[in-house]
Amino acid sequence: MLLAYRCALASPQITATAVEASEFPTWADRHGVMAVPAIVVDERPRWTGSVPEDVFVDRLLAAVRETGTAVSD
Amino acid sequence: MSLLGERERDAVASVWEHLAHDVGVRLDVGPVATPVALLAAGGREIDTNAEARALVEELCALSDRVTLELFEHQEAGAYPSLTVGAGLRYVGLPWGYELASVVQAVAVAGADGPALSEPSLERLGAIERPVSIDVFVTPT
Repeated sequence: MLLAYRCALASPQITATAVEASEFPTWADRHGVMAVPAIVVDERPRWTGSVPEDVFVDRLLAAVRETGTAVSD
Repeated sequence: MSLLGERERDAVASVWEHLAHDVGVRLDVGPVATPVALLAAGGREIDTNAEARALVEELCALSDRVTLELFEHQEAGAYPSLTVGAGLRYVGLPWGYELASVVQAVAVAGADGPALSEPSLERLGAIERPVSIDVFVTPT
């Protein structure tokens, strides 16, 4: 969760929201959340579990690339 | 009644002692569309809005750099919702381990240095459209 927040602080394009899953089970169910932390990028579930910063950024960029050509090389 | 113990208050104050900038915290409270009964120890049902308000008011009083704005809504939504700085949001009652994360979020938002390492900053700088990250968490 803190890494998501750090990414949001690092890029004006990124917004980060943490959701308490037990209080909002319908919201969590919509994304098929079975374990936490579960990371959803642009409304699509991506991965579960804590990862180091470089892996988090790798996976985030891969998710962004997959949903459009919005990352310049 | 104080929700935080003396040790917890001291711990928060020492983390926030190093804030280089003022950090605005916004708490939105209101009716929840699909309420879930959460029970505290002893079987008491938790009013998450009231609990969040008391907790966040107590927290924000621990540093002159942290200011709180409270908004009360009439229409149902995802509440309580806490916003730290420009756009770090926490939806739900931040208790247990998540409370520590919110305290850290304020520390990161109010810090002087960069939020991530230089390579990460460079790579994220290539993102050219809005991206939303939602992280589902539980307090334990």
